[in-house]
Amino acid sequence: MHEFLAQLANGVELGAIYALIALGYTLVYGILELINFAHGDVYTFGSFTALVVLVALRAAHFLHGAGLILGIVAALAVAILACALLNAGIERLAYRRLRKAPRLAPLITAIGVSFMLENLIELWQGAAPVPFPNVIPNPELEIGALQVGVQQIVVVALAIATMVALHYFVKRSRLGKAMRAVAQDRDAASLVGIDVDRTIAITFLIAGALAGVAGFVGGVSFGSAWFLNGFGAGLRAFTAAVLGGIGNIAGAMLGGFLIGLLESFSTWFIGGQWSNVAVFSVLILVLVFRPSGLLGESLPEKV
Amino acid sequence: MIYAYAFVAIAACVAIERFHNRKAKIAIALALAAFLAVGPRFYGNEAIFSVLADAAVYVMLALGLNIVVGFAGLLDLGYAAFFAIGAYTYGMLASPQFGLHLPFWALLFLAAALAALFGALLGAPTLRLHGDYLAIVTLGFGEIVPQIFQNLTKYTGGPNGIAALDVPTFFGHSFGASVMPYYYIALVGIVLALWISRNLRESRLGRAWMAIREDELAAKHAGIDVLRSKLAAFAIGASFSGIGGVLFAAKLALVSPDLFGFQVSVLIVSMLVLGGMGNIVGVVVGSLILTIVNSALLPQLNSLVDASFHTTVDLSNIHFLIYGAILVGIMLFRPEGLLPNRERRAELRNSGEVEAEA
Amino acid sequence: MSLLDLVEVTKRFGALTAVSNVTLKVEEGAIFGIIGPNGAGKSTLFNLLTAIYRFDEGRISVDGTSIAGLTTQRIARLGVARTFQNLRLFGNASALTNVMVGEHLALHSNIIDSLLDTARERRERKEAERRARELLRFVGIAGVDEHFARNLSYGTQRRLEIARALAARPRLLLLDEPAAGLNPSEKQDLLALIRAIRDTGATVLLIEHDMGLVMNLCERIAVLDYGEKIAEGTPSEIREHPRVIEAYLGAPA
Repeated sequence: MHEFLAQLANGVELGAIYALIALGYTLVYGILELINFAHGDVYTFGSFTALVVLVALRAAHFLHGAGLILGIVAALAVAILACALLNAGIERLAYRRLRKAPRLAPLITAIGVSFMLENLIELWQGAAPVPFPNVIPNPELEIGALQVGVQQIVVVALAIATMVALHYFVKRSRLGKAMRAVAQDRDAASLVGIDVDRTIAITFLIAGALAGVAGFVGGVSFGSAWFLNGFGAGLRAFTAAVLGGIGNIAGAMLGGFLIGLLESFSTWFIGGQWSNVAVFSVLILVLVFRPSGLLGESLPEKV
Repeated sequence: MIYAYAFVAIAACVAIERFHNRKAKIAIALALAAFLAVGPRFYGNEAIFSVLADAAVYVMLALGLNIVVGFAGLLDLGYAAFFAIGAYTYGMLASPQFGLHLPFWALLFLAAALAALFGALLGAPTLRLHGDYLAIVTLGFGEIVPQIFQNLTKYTGGPNGIAALDVPTFFGHSFGASVMPYYYIALVGIVLALWISRNLRESRLGRAWMAIREDELAAKHAGIDVLRSKLAAFAIGASFSGIGGVLFAAKLALVSPDLFGFQVSVLIVSMLVLGGMGNIVGVVVGSLILTIVNSALLPQLNSLVDASFHTTVDLSNIHFLIYGAILVGIMLFRPEGLLPNRERRAELRNSGEVEAEA
Repeated sequence: MSLLDLVEVTKRFGALTAVSNVTLKVEEGAIFGIIGPNGAGKSTLFNLLTAIYRFDEGRISVDGTSIAGLTTQRIARLGVARTFQNLRLFGNASALTNVMVGEHLALHSNIIDSLLDTARERRERKEAERRARELLRFVGIAGVDEHFARNLSYGTQRRLEIARALAARPRLLLLDEPAAGLNPSEKQDLLALIRAIRDTGATVLLIEHDMGLVMNLCERIAVLDYGEKIAEGTPSEIREHPRVIEAYLGAPA
């Protein structure tokens, strides 16, 4: 029971991170029908920018008392900003020219961008994992039989707050409505005066910002950052987005938590070395039996 | 020296592509084959044979993937999985691992069959999926297979893999320590692969693939069994990779799970993209360029840069930056590849004529 | 027995009933037309016939074989070929190759033949190529053989698509608005072509907007409106049918 609850907490924590990354995949897929393969690496970039800011602040003996809170906020803000700009930059430089190209072209481009980012991050921070500054104190809290770390609570709370904010942004704001319109029908949206290029750019900004948040909480949660983190996490998150129904925001969150739980429980039951196999088997099964995902709608083929 | 061979091979390929006369094409191809068969015996050494053998294996892999991606239009991002299956077939059945020492030549066929079988097993449930989704499922498969080999330590030696694989023999003569025999086997393999590729392209099945690639719905209306045709592409493509895997493992006398990661799949996709998907000669050129860059140019560039700037930079660190840049650059500036297939080229020339096809 | 037999066929998309209770018989050797205003369900009906959509109720059979549950490619094997309202050619392949793909079902080479380029494969390829050239001539576009489909003029593309459909040697040819976008003289040629196709023994079922063409060409006509068949008969019967006049005056096409 005790172990079960611990794994549950772990799964939720992992799931929160996957959900944040999955949202980035789903937003971009919803609007461009592109699997932004480089998204996982944007997440890695987020981890490292937060890490660099925190290391610098720690070296300046800034991280005490109120400075600690400020430092965390600053690291998070820098990660968000850096990732948003990076993601939008990739769209502007690489994907935008390929909107009318055959389907495989943008995907292959995205894979190329992903390789370049991974390599650049490796050149910047080295091939070994870098410890992430332990900024959030992590006493264990006991809630009944459940033992959770403060870090876990912070990670999950931050992720959920971000998702709620995103939900309201997409549902309520003018920009959010424009995003949904462009996702539904790009030509019609441009006919009613929506600036499609700008809307797509903003979608990439937001997806990048979410990856920034994920990068920060991922760094806190795993205690390290590694240049290849984004590859595995990205694939899991993409699986989550597909599981929930790609293009569907609530689906990406649901899928994220389900994949997080699957990973933590499969690690518990059959060992961590099988968790990849478990996750990808789920991906294949979902795509085969319910390609539209848990919350997605299936559309008839256009003739 | 290695560049000379690569240069001659690439120049000959370009010439074959440019000439319109069928006889001229055949003459150049025969001359090239003779040159590649004889040349290294006189001007070469073990190191050159080794690079050439690797290049030849990669050309075979690229030709196999070309059937899947270029002909049938199915983006397979887990092609290295079949490579791994081929390599482990040899690793497990021709090594002290189980004390089985099956002959190399039989295992070439067995590996081709096993890889084809796994291709069909993966394809049967997933080939209904469209475009990007199929790409991701194959990617997942490509991640799972090496992981399974890594986890089944009892059978596969786990993360360390299997070493001391058998040295093949040819009518009782051991290959010995030389890598030369692998080069010649791979060369024969390429000739076969080229012949099969050409046959397929001009065949009923090849036309079915073209139809599926261009418009799947219209293909169905012509009575084409889309799923079966795609399965055939998957299985045939996988079998090339399986054979390549046996050659690779036997030459290295070693298999381990980290040799077959996603990078390998992407490397082969890059070869196709660079050369021109769907075009047989283009694919050969693409794979030659990338293997030479990979196994000759980059390592040498390293020492060159170090010598001139008195540094110790490791340029093998930027392999992936280079692949990535190639993928992005080609997609943005020359999406049809260096030597596009005749369809794409005609599209670009914006005219209807095609030359008599060889 | 009729070649094509629809009994009380219904197709719904959510709350919308696109095809409602349609019963239709097309006799072997006929040129049969289906007309109706935009959105009357004509294209949906065609899509039911080739299993792009599944019908919800009723029965459809081709030469006595029910097509319920059959896939598109199985239906093609029953001898049903079609063209599309918005052409679906293989744009980056030559006209000749387009037609050769249409011959797929008429060829028998298997995967081994294809891999090894056996004598059967070569013989069939030669024969397929010869027939494809013949078909291009038959539909009146000889000489474009090596041109890429996407580079052909619109009218030529329409004919090429018909040639591709004919290559399957269909018993039932479905033409989805074959005259759309053609000029009057091209329409005259099309009329002659469709008659010639029928004379080779195929049955033709076509959807058309151009009333003049349909009245001229078809021996029997069914009229759809809001998914229902409101009339069926010979051209002269249709011309005077009150519900047809009402449908067309109420919602001019």
